[in-house]
Amino acid sequence: MATDAAIRLKGVTKAFGKMQAVDSLDLEVPVGGLYGFIGPNGAGKTTSIRMIMSILFPDSGEVAVLGQASALDAKDRIGYLPEERGLYRKMKVRPFLRYMARLKGLHGSDLDRRIAGWLARVGLAGIESKRCDELSKGMSQKVQFVSAVIHEPDLLILDEPFSGLDPVSMRVLRDLILAEHARGTTILFSTHVMPQAEEICEHVIMIHKGRKVLDESVPAIRNRFDPRAIQFEPLDPGADTGALTSIPDVEGVTDGERGLEVLLRDGTDPVAVMRSVMDAVPAARVELSRPRLEDVFIGLVTDSASGEDAQHLRAELQDAEHSGTPQ
Amino acid sequence: MNRIVQIAIRDFLAVVMTKGFIIGLLIMPAFLAVSIIVFPRFIDGGSFQVEGEYAVVDPTGAVFPEMDALLDPRTISEQRIEEFRQRLDQAPEFLRGVAGTALEQAMIEELGLAPNVRLLQRPADTDVEAEKAWLNEASDGLRHTALIVVHENAVEAAGSDPGFGSYDLFVAPNLDDRDLSFIHTTIRDAIINARVSRQSLDRDALESVLRVARPSSVTVRPDAEQDTMPGLNFMLPMAFVILLFMGLMTGSGTMLTSMIEEKSSRVVEILLSAVSPMELMAGKLLGSVAVSLVAMGLYLGIGLIALSSLSLFGLLDPRLIVYLMIFFLIAFFVVGSLFLAIGASVNELSEAQQLQMPVMLLVLSPMLLWPLVSRDPNSTLAVVLSFLPPVNPFFMLMRMASTQPPPLWQVWLSIAVGAASVAVAVWVAAKVFRIGLLMYGKPPNFRTLLRWVRQA
Repeated sequence: MATDAAIRLKGVTKAFGKMQAVDSLDLEVPVGGLYGFIGPNGAGKTTSIRMIMSILFPDSGEVAVLGQASALDAKDRIGYLPEERGLYRKMKVRPFLRYMARLKGLHGSDLDRRIAGWLARVGLAGIESKRCDELSKGMSQKVQFVSAVIHEPDLLILDEPFSGLDPVSMRVLRDLILAEHARGTTILFSTHVMPQAEEICEHVIMIHKGRKVLDESVPAIRNRFDPRAIQFEPLDPGADTGALTSIPDVEGVTDGERGLEVLLRDGTDPVAVMRSVMDAVPAARVELSRPRLEDVFIGLVTDSASGEDAQHLRAELQDAEHSGTPQ
Repeated sequence: MNRIVQIAIRDFLAVVMTKGFIIGLLIMPAFLAVSIIVFPRFIDGGSFQVEGEYAVVDPTGAVFPEMDALLDPRTISEQRIEEFRQRLDQAPEFLRGVAGTALEQAMIEELGLAPNVRLLQRPADTDVEAEKAWLNEASDGLRHTALIVVHENAVEAAGSDPGFGSYDLFVAPNLDDRDLSFIHTTIRDAIINARVSRQSLDRDALESVLRVARPSSVTVRPDAEQDTMPGLNFMLPMAFVILLFMGLMTGSGTMLTSMIEEKSSRVVEILLSAVSPMELMAGKLLGSVAVSLVAMGLYLGIGLIALSSLSLFGLLDPRLIVYLMIFFLIAFFVVGSLFLAIGASVNELSEAQQLQMPVMLLVLSPMLLWPLVSRDPNSTLAVVLSFLPPVNPFFMLMRMASTQPPPLWQVWLSIAVGAASVAVAVWVAAKVFRIGLLMYGKPPNFRTLLRWVRQA
């Protein structure tokens, strides 16, 4: 495992003046992994990524990328889509992509064919001779994505790849990321929008205030943070749900975001309880609660999930989720 | 290395292939050509006419008649024709051709309109204080321009004093310098004429005794001879400094704007995904040095064509051009890397300007100190400045192009100092560049920049 790491950080620390951006961070992404790097704005994601890319250097600690001590020695094998990204306004799309490809060591006559192929894949066939300042924001983002993957890298690092995209483009981009992963590329992408990570990643690394708070595979997180609850929505909204509390193995019933939250005692079989619930009150919807990364995150970084801190953090995360863009 | 070259090529083409660059490149020589060739034509057009009424208080009684004679239209006309003939001998060929057909018109173009002046004689006992008010009186016809009070001893020495007297002149407000000079010349001529006739001398004879024609000197070279161009030795150092300055500014200016554009359009980090900050910096420096060389090559070419068209090509030691290139590269890498660091640390051009100001002042200082150094190229000031980075390339070049070039060891010492200053400037710029590139928001001040240099 250790020799297989595409990215390895050991005790990496970086401060900007008095601000501790990253604090003794250990991180390992194995070759072929699809890792989500998540945390709210200002958690230290971009700084960590810039250190992985050797754009910034850590104050202390070690970085290894694709077996090299510095990403500079492996740049041609890495694709990187930064959070702060833009295009040369006056350059046309084809010369820009050609330029980026050449900077990444690609040469030869099939460059234009490759560019056309990639543009077709992202749904932008035929825009080669448009000037970059004629592109919409979504189109620009796709061109930027193409510039990150045109050399078919072994490692793809995407910093907030979905920010500012409309839902359709988001889906296109998600499929592209999954396709790259299927090709065997190791992928690390950062986001502060937790549901995106839930949807795509195999493994999640959460950081908060420069420190790592979670580093686990998605199934393991589901298991460990199982809320042991059933979501229940009665068929008749006015129905008396008092009977639910009398079911054995039910610890209590609380109001959830969508209907009721039926909490289970430890060691009970949720499926049996679901049957009893449906018998007790006619149901519109009965569903096993799944842990949401947002809840896991808030649970990890605050002492109690109901505290003021937690609510504040939740509001911040949801706000970010709706706007979809970093502040 | 390949990446550096790729960046250099892109930056070079992005600048050179724009209309703005080509126009900007040609506008400077075009402006020079216009100001040298076209402007003087307009200025010499001669629309100015000396006009006015002069009140004369002449106790000698001899000066007024002489002035009157000088201002007689026929005399004026004769004089102008004489003056025109003299000028015509020096005038360009085409003007001589014109002279036969449209003499009067050509004369007006060459000499301006004939003066239109009326003299008023005032009694010898006029109260000068009271008469001064006349200068500010409104007038329907000619303007009241001058009150001339001739001294009693202006024509004949009086008493024990062997010297001659002169005159007092009072003039109306806002008088043109050309009017004033015309008045002085006229009185001076009138007084001299009065003195000459009082002593029964012949003025023409006197003048021919006093006149010694001054020939233009001939510069003799091993291979050729030609008329000496006065002032050329003085101008050559300046020409070199201007050439250096224009070359420097063309490349480093466009580099600054392109750097700011890359930063503000957020393309910079995309580039950093493929190249290291140092490769980016090196590529940008190389690209813009190429831009500068295009500009310098063009200007140098124009300069050499101009010299050879005046058959002055021999004046220029070709080695100077080689040194120009060496010093240009030194100046470019020092100033250019500082500009690049500034460009990398700001968000927009207006923020760059205040950081750029001290560098600009340094680069402009050779222009201001040029007369001092050019007149005395081996003064302590000149020697010190020619070893002091970042201005040493300018001053050393100025000294080398002067009439008293410095010894060769000084030149190479200055080059060595320059090379060391390039190393320091690139090192400092690299530190600021690396940090500044990814900094957005409040533009840094000098203290922040220094902190970046220390911490990077």
